[in-house]
Amino acid sequence: MEKILTKKSFSKWVKKLESYKIYAPVKNDDLWNYEIIDIPESIQPDYPNTVLSPKKIIFPQREIFLEFKASNEEGLEVKEILPEERPAIIFGVRPCDARALTLTDNVFKGDFEDPYYWKRRNQTILIGLTCNIPPSFDCFCLSVGGSPHSKDGLDILMTDLEDKYYIESLTKKGNQLINLAKDCFEEPKVMDKKDLEKIQANSEIQIKRQIKDIKKIPKKLKGMFDTPFWDKESLSCIQCGICTYLCPTCHCFDINDEVASSAPLKGKRVRTWDNCQFPDFTMHSSGHNPRPDKASRLRQRILHKFQYFVELYENFQCVGCGRCISKCPVGIDIIEVLDKVRDYGL
Amino acid sequence: MDYNVYIPKLAKIIEIKEEVGGSRPIKSFRTHFINKNDFSHRCGQSAMISVLGKGESMISISSSPLVKDYLQFSILKMGRVTTALHEMQVGNVIGIRGPYGNGFPIEEWKGKNLVFIGGGIGLAPIWSVLNTALGKREDYGDLILIYGARTSKDLVFNDELKELKKKITVFLSVDVEEEGWKEFVGFVPQNVTDKKPSPKNSITVTCGPPIMIKFVIKALKDLGFEDEQIYTTVENKMKCGIGKCGRCNIGKHYVCKDGPVYSWAQLKNLPQEY
Repeated sequence: MEKILTKKSFSKWVKKLESYKIYAPVKNDDLWNYEIIDIPESIQPDYPNTVLSPKKIIFPQREIFLEFKASNEEGLEVKEILPEERPAIIFGVRPCDARALTLTDNVFKGDFEDPYYWKRRNQTILIGLTCNIPPSFDCFCLSVGGSPHSKDGLDILMTDLEDKYYIESLTKKGNQLINLAKDCFEEPKVMDKKDLEKIQANSEIQIKRQIKDIKKIPKKLKGMFDTPFWDKESLSCIQCGICTYLCPTCHCFDINDEVASSAPLKGKRVRTWDNCQFPDFTMHSSGHNPRPDKASRLRQRILHKFQYFVELYENFQCVGCGRCISKCPVGIDIIEVLDKVRDYGL
Repeated sequence: MDYNVYIPKLAKIIEIKEEVGGSRPIKSFRTHFINKNDFSHRCGQSAMISVLGKGESMISISSSPLVKDYLQFSILKMGRVTTALHEMQVGNVIGIRGPYGNGFPIEEWKGKNLVFIGGGIGLAPIWSVLNTALGKREDYGDLILIYGARTSKDLVFNDELKELKKKITVFLSVDVEEEGWKEFVGFVPQNVTDKKPSPKNSITVTCGPPIMIKFVIKALKDLGFEDEQIYTTVENKMKCGIGKCGRCNIGKHYVCKDGPVYSWAQLKNLPQEY
């Protein structure tokens, strides 16, 4: 379904969606992040990309798995705690971040479905926004199979045509949101469609960074496991973990028990994000560590994204959002690392 | 989805046996699920054991799937969860989820001689497959166990080993000489070289510390074993047990669900990250 929504009608439409929990980018202290929105007028779809991707809504940094307590009958009681049911809408999702969720879906489905992830994922509607101009200098979505107007994972894609939005509804869920407020929308004219095509084509030209011959990289990496390349590339790494913390496709996690009372026993089991760049991530309780240095940990990050994930799911585990480049405090640039991989003489 | 993969099933500890004392103690725990369920495992599989309030730890199941009365775990006291387990008493309740992992392909080994090679607590996963082979004795050829530990006091399943000697060939070893020890003195790989098990129609299963496994494989290759005849288990740190938390991988393989059992033909092609 394709429609036109004037900017004047935008908040009118959002008001009709009040039964949903609505997330949108909010500016705080010069940083944009997704927050729950109460006032429709406060949604400003024109923003650079958020610091954290909407991953944090579907897969929160900390979530409760279960509660446990001592009980007289069986000694222990364990109660499953699943996320609440209320459907949510995320406004202004960048196409790369929506694509990231489709990649993470691969991990959380399969033989062992993750009920926490899917409960949130299935009740969340994603409304994307075409990147007419790149939200970051380090965007490189075109190199990894995405685009500034990619529809992957989105329910609706909005494209800014100055005084109005071109609305492309891509799923049943998207159609439902439009049907809730039919009178807010107009039919697109031939000129609108032409403007859309022009803007979307132009959006691709605006992406300045790229990884050439990226298709050669997975095979190349396979032969580079035991090379000194990783020692050199990781020299400046301070193991802060910001690269994977901000990455919309990184999904590694930890599970820990938080005890509120030890006698009688009462507490929660929680999942939190974890980070392959931290030394104790893989350390055995014996002290043995299969990834004992930052070279082996940087190698894991690159190989997971550009070799192992490709072998498993036929896709790079990277959407080219550029966050890990822009925010790395020591300037490790994944594009430069991959350029060097491609040109590395074996 | 009809069940939550992260919720452990509660089980009661029905028996605790102290296998090894001293500074590296090992205890065997027999457990019984509180509520009936469809848990059934293959030899070589593991389960995620919960001590609620402390966390979870992936432990191999040392009892044979042929045993229906209990699940047994033989555990070296090492980290937070295993230390808490060692403090538990009969009647205490733990959580169990699983079973996880591929297990040993024992159906494919029918008609073959099986050579089990273990070091220290590495006998735990072997115990499950060895006892299954014993339970279906007619399906297999000769069974041989080559097992060693630092000292005679560090050998697990000591009582059972005495019984086992009446049924199959057992070669024991200790690392250093001690009074009254009549069997081999030296490391497990040296005992393998000394006893020369025949590669003819044989499969070997090796479990133990990584350094031992490395040299046992070398010894077996010297004796003429093919890569496909050599099986071993790998361990890595795990949190989820179901291939999602991202830390136990060796290349694209997640040890928790794609392992822990590998033939040397498979393992030698994977990066050395274990």
